[in-house]
Amino acid sequence: MWAFVGSDVLFFGTLIAAFLINRGKGIGPHEEIFDIPVTTLSTFVLLMSSVAMVLALAAIQRNDLKGLRLWLGVTALLGAIFIGFQMVEFTIFAREGLTPRTNIFGTTFFTMTGFHGAHVAVGVVWLVSLIIASYKGHVTQARSLDVEIMGLYWHFVDIVWIVIFGVVYLVGALGAEEHHASAISLVG
Amino acid sequence: MAMGHAEVHSDHHPGPRQYLVVGGVLAVLTGLEVGAFFLNLTSALVVFILLALTAAKFVLVVAFFMHLRFDNRLFLWLFVFPVVVMVSTMVALMALLDTLTR
Repeated sequence: MWAFVGSDVLFFGTLIAAFLINRGKGIGPHEEIFDIPVTTLSTFVLLMSSVAMVLALAAIQRNDLKGLRLWLGVTALLGAIFIGFQMVEFTIFAREGLTPRTNIFGTTFFTMTGFHGAHVAVGVVWLVSLIIASYKGHVTQARSLDVEIMGLYWHFVDIVWIVIFGVVYLVGALGAEEHHASAISLVG
Repeated sequence: MAMGHAEVHSDHHPGPRQYLVVGGVLAVLTGLEVGAFFLNLTSALVVFILLALTAAKFVLVVAFFMHLRFDNRLFLWLFVFPVVVMVSTMVALMALLDTLTR
């Protein structure tokens, strides 16, 4: 799993780099359409899903199957809510004229966040399959490593979002605000 | 792989209470990030604060939730090496294409 995580670091790193080196290019909407309060809420949801994931691992390590199912369920639910936030965000952006075909910003933004969303979706399916496996007796204290590996994947998805939220959303929106302010002062 | 995860796994993982404390710290750091974003500070300072807070959250999740602080160093290097390669490549590309300060 660590080898996979290492290779996925390079994968997402490439997507983030492609986004960063193309910032501000192309005609059409850019970072000014980000809704920071809403994205903060979805970031908080994903962070709390990571907390639920480690609580699921702690539960199976003390042979608490009920606790394992509860926390895996909470993790999957929070992951699904995060995907919901992302779908709403994508829909709003499309209504405001930003799609993957609008400009290079749209292409790199949707590719990067879309692949992240796909990773979250895969994680939710994996979590649900672990819950089902626990009812069939395949997840036990002796096999808690299965849950730990699931957790590694989930936390990796979380740290990728931590970077996207900080570098792409917050720093990006800050740059867009400055650009807007300097444009106003030039006109004034 | 010659060395399986279970063979080099450490049992000194944090407990539920420590996980909740780390979760609380992560929530506070996210709040600070958003607070810094809306503050009327110079943009260079805000960018520095945002990047520092992002790095702090990243390290906390990797160290405590992914257990790298407690696991075998082999896993640490399997993770740190690609991160260093990627960050260096990213900064070099941005410097070359003049997008580092945009």
